[in-house]
Amino acid sequence: MRVFLILFSALLVNNYVFIRFLGICPFLGVSKKMDTAVGMGFAATFVLVMSSVITWFVNKLLIALGVQFLQIVTFILVIATFVQFVEFFLKKNSPGLYEALGIYLPLITTNCIILGVAILNAQANYSLLEAVFHALGAGIGFLLALVIFAGIRERLELYEMPKPFEGLPIALILASIISMAFMGFQGLIKM
Amino acid sequence: MTIVYSTVLLGILGFAFGTFLAYSAKKFEVKEDPRVEMIKEVLSGANCGACGYAGCEAYAKAVVTGKATFDMCIPGRPSGVADKIKEIMQKNAPN
Repeated sequence: MRVFLILFSALLVNNYVFIRFLGICPFLGVSKKMDTAVGMGFAATFVLVMSSVITWFVNKLLIALGVQFLQIVTFILVIATFVQFVEFFLKKNSPGLYEALGIYLPLITTNCIILGVAILNAQANYSLLEAVFHALGAGIGFLLALVIFAGIRERLELYEMPKPFEGLPIALILASIISMAFMGFQGLIKM
Repeated sequence: MTIVYSTVLLGILGFAFGTFLAYSAKKFEVKEDPRVEMIKEVLSGANCGACGYAGCEAYAKAVVTGKATFDMCIPGRPSGVADKIKEIMQKNAPN
């Protein structure tokens, strides 16, 4: 039961994009088209889940050896490995998506959601299963944020906008409104 | 002791992930146009971006797909890189 609480907490109540304001760069960068948004969401979810499994073990190792100060270095190493793996995989199996994501694909390495989840897992002393569900919730939450935003931005292209608001400014205003709407989930779960 | 532990741990982790990546790079290898590799050999390899592309590889790809001309590599100009690229493109042109 607790794992589902963690899942929905990371997905809705503490949505990493709209409530914790992490991972904003890819959120604004790849939300122009629905296809790339979905691709990015799944790529990030995969990296999140895989890296949180490995970092869980790595963290236990770090504590056993008493070298916790290496946390960020080793976590980034793990994340970078999986991002590189996703890059190989997409280049082979989906060149179109690879081209569309462009620089944002290798930039998943520095996506703060992924490092954030890994570090929060270590801080909260989650068990392996809880860590995986936390990462899954964060990943699906990121996917959800991208899909909502891409859907709105695709429609927004059709409307005439006052010149100063065209492009990013209106996107940022929109993001703030969605963020306020997500505050409505606050009372959903009592942890 | 801390120094030894950190060095050994990072060494082992780096080696393990490196092996994994080398394996997956082989497994998911994408066959590229051989001319891209040949042009990359001829270029200076400074990745300076003076040609207007993100690096030597991006420029080589652009040449092969016909988006760029042969004479855009500025550091390679004194050593006649443009002629070498032209030669590669003509010799290995697909029929």
